[in-house]
Amino acid sequence: MSRTRWILFLCPLLLAAQNPFAGNATEADAGRGLFRILCRPCHGIAAQGGRGPDLTLGVYNNGNSDSDLFRVIFHGVPGTEMPSYGARIGDDNVWRMVTYIRSLTTRKETPPPGDPAAGEAFFWTKGGCGACHIVGRRGGAMGPDLTRIGRKRSLQHLRQSLTDPNADLTPGYYRITVTPRSGPKIAGTQRNLDNFTAELMTPDGKVHFFDREAVASIERDYVSMMPAYRNLNPQDANNLLLYLLSLRGENQ
Amino acid sequence: MNRIALLLAAVPAFAQIKDADWLTYGGNLASWRYSDLNQVTAANVKQLNLEWVFQTGIGGKNETTPLIHGAMMYVTGPDNNAWALDLHTGRQVWRYVKPVPPSLPICCGQVNRGFALSGNTLFKMNLDSTLVALDANTGAVLWETTLADYKKGYTGTVAPLVVKDKVITGIAGAEFGTRGFIDAYDIKTGKRAWRFYTVPAPGEFGGDTWPKDSKAYERGGGSTWVTGTYDPETNLTFWGTGNPGPDMNGDVRPGDNLFTCSIVALDAATGKLKWHYQFTPHDVHDWDATEDPVLLDINHEGRNVKAVVMANRNGFYYVFERATGKLLHTKAYTKVSWAKGIGKDGRPILIPGQDPTPTGNMACPGGGGGHNWQASAFSPLTGLYYFPTTDGCHTYFVTNHEFVEGAWYQGSTFTGEGHFPAGSILAVDPATGATKWRWPMVSTPTAGTLATAGGLLFSGDREGYLFALDASTGKPLWRRQLGGTVIAPPVTWARNGRQYLTIAAGPSIFTFAIPK
Repeated sequence: MSRTRWILFLCPLLLAAQNPFAGNATEADAGRGLFRILCRPCHGIAAQGGRGPDLTLGVYNNGNSDSDLFRVIFHGVPGTEMPSYGARIGDDNVWRMVTYIRSLTTRKETPPPGDPAAGEAFFWTKGGCGACHIVGRRGGAMGPDLTRIGRKRSLQHLRQSLTDPNADLTPGYYRITVTPRSGPKIAGTQRNLDNFTAELMTPDGKVHFFDREAVASIERDYVSMMPAYRNLNPQDANNLLLYLLSLRGENQ
Repeated sequence: MNRIALLLAAVPAFAQIKDADWLTYGGNLASWRYSDLNQVTAANVKQLNLEWVFQTGIGGKNETTPLIHGAMMYVTGPDNNAWALDLHTGRQVWRYVKPVPPSLPICCGQVNRGFALSGNTLFKMNLDSTLVALDANTGAVLWETTLADYKKGYTGTVAPLVVKDKVITGIAGAEFGTRGFIDAYDIKTGKRAWRFYTVPAPGEFGGDTWPKDSKAYERGGGSTWVTGTYDPETNLTFWGTGNPGPDMNGDVRPGDNLFTCSIVALDAATGKLKWHYQFTPHDVHDWDATEDPVLLDINHEGRNVKAVVMANRNGFYYVFERATGKLLHTKAYTKVSWAKGIGKDGRPILIPGQDPTPTGNMACPGGGGGHNWQASAFSPLTGLYYFPTTDGCHTYFVTNHEFVEGAWYQGSTFTGEGHFPAGSILAVDPATGATKWRWPMVSTPTAGTLATAGGLLFSGDREGYLFALDASTGKPLWRRQLGGTVIAPPVTWARNGRQYLTIAAGPSIFTFAIPK
């Protein structure tokens, strides 16, 4: 490759590093409009996190510069729930969203007092969480894999999920109930559901396949199979939440 | 059994058929999406098997209605791509691609819904708001014309409609503060014959439904991204129009906001407005009227009426007299929270408290509406009209949204949090809108429909199935998993005594037939 071509090749990268709307309140407002449409379902209307990370802490999972935010919104984060928006909305609109996110007041989230190591012990023993959740190479597969959950969810969202799993259920982890033509009903977590078939995982970890034509009914309820842990003592809950926040896909 | 007896026995099971093309977006100019091919029936549909697959290699949503003519199939795809395929093998004969400009403002994917054809010339909208004419044999560009400035948010996604010596087409972009229109171009030269603005300027008919001394009308929306229909008898072309801009914030555009969320009947020769009807005056829920306006003869109170019908996104089904626009009948076909019904004066009888608010307000149908652009079908065999619907609600928000040229201008949004809309395919009596059968779906519909003289209704779904229902009862008869969401409608055609079924799913084009 010639030198000129190298320079041409690098130009878009250099341009991408500059936010053309940095500090521009009008563009930030346009970015807010886009944010409410595209980002709100996961990051919340105030960007304080939900299923997606809190964006008001001033610290982000994939780099803290404007160009890092641009890259993440433009290309998405492969292997995560963060999709790409660049092709859909174009560079300028991505910069408008970056400008909006930058305009947010930075908050500080204080972790609760507690001991993540005690939380880990609770997770695998008394809490029984490992029966349905994978961390690293251990655990059951009924519920979502928690290996990187500390990167994905805010403390507030994790606490809500613990005490009220139905409040913001991870898409796809719904309850499927199959009524056979004879015999007892079978309930499990959705693995596949379409207009003709269903696959579900029962609490024993087995996957079952059903064809609609062969059973009396297949029903989907938008509820979690996870019990609501409303009566944990506060120390166990805090320890567990600190352990979950520490799960960042490293050393597991 | 001797040989002759065997042949005789085979005849009723495998009807002899003539070659059949698929020449327009809607199957005919009335948009019936019906084929009189009857080789594939309820009795043998289970034998349908894959003939060929063409992998386009282009990701994104493929919404194309393939056209079949001569020895070729013509399909369009995302990102300004199109192909001519050999009918028998699915192998590419030629490919057309026009590079998409960077930073293209577009709301809902870099999609395209198909070609139009006149003689040996194909017509296609491009995302950069251009209309191109191609030589059907070679894919060579014959002419190209620019409709509007794509940098301002105008985009071309619709399949054009050929009427005599003109190609009539529309524009997308009502989420970007654009001003919609319907255009007609000379098929030979690409010279514009007429333009009808779906948002009138001050002083023009309907201009008083927009705020005075304001530029609101220039950003008024009213896009035209689903192909219209044509009635040769009246020489009228019928088009549905999109939402007003900004979608959810009606405060900046007090008034009815004609001709958004409307059906317009235009003289195909001149583009002059013959009549209009606004389904959703002053819409704040993004209920585009871009559903196919289908031309049917129906029995209305004992007399035969030449009608145009639409299952509108706002949840109501409408029947009009085609020549005059007289509203004959309305009926809700899904859960509707915003209106009690449609009054004698043709205006919806509003239920208060349904508008978007800063903190969110629920209304039904949801943001995508009941029936959206997913193509409907009419079968003269069953007398039923078929369309996919979304059954559910959304929470609608409103914000102040400064207009920035080329930027999203929606005035906030709607969300599905806490709502789990499902879908269905409905078969209704087209005269009354009364449901004859309903086939429930686990998720909201994505694909269009096709009715055939074999007594079948074909469609697809979000989970990647192509399927056939009994057109009389809705009973599922056949399915194939195609490995990608079906967003396009199926088409059917025949060559050398065999009936074929073609559909786009994921990034590929699939063709099925009963094996020889």
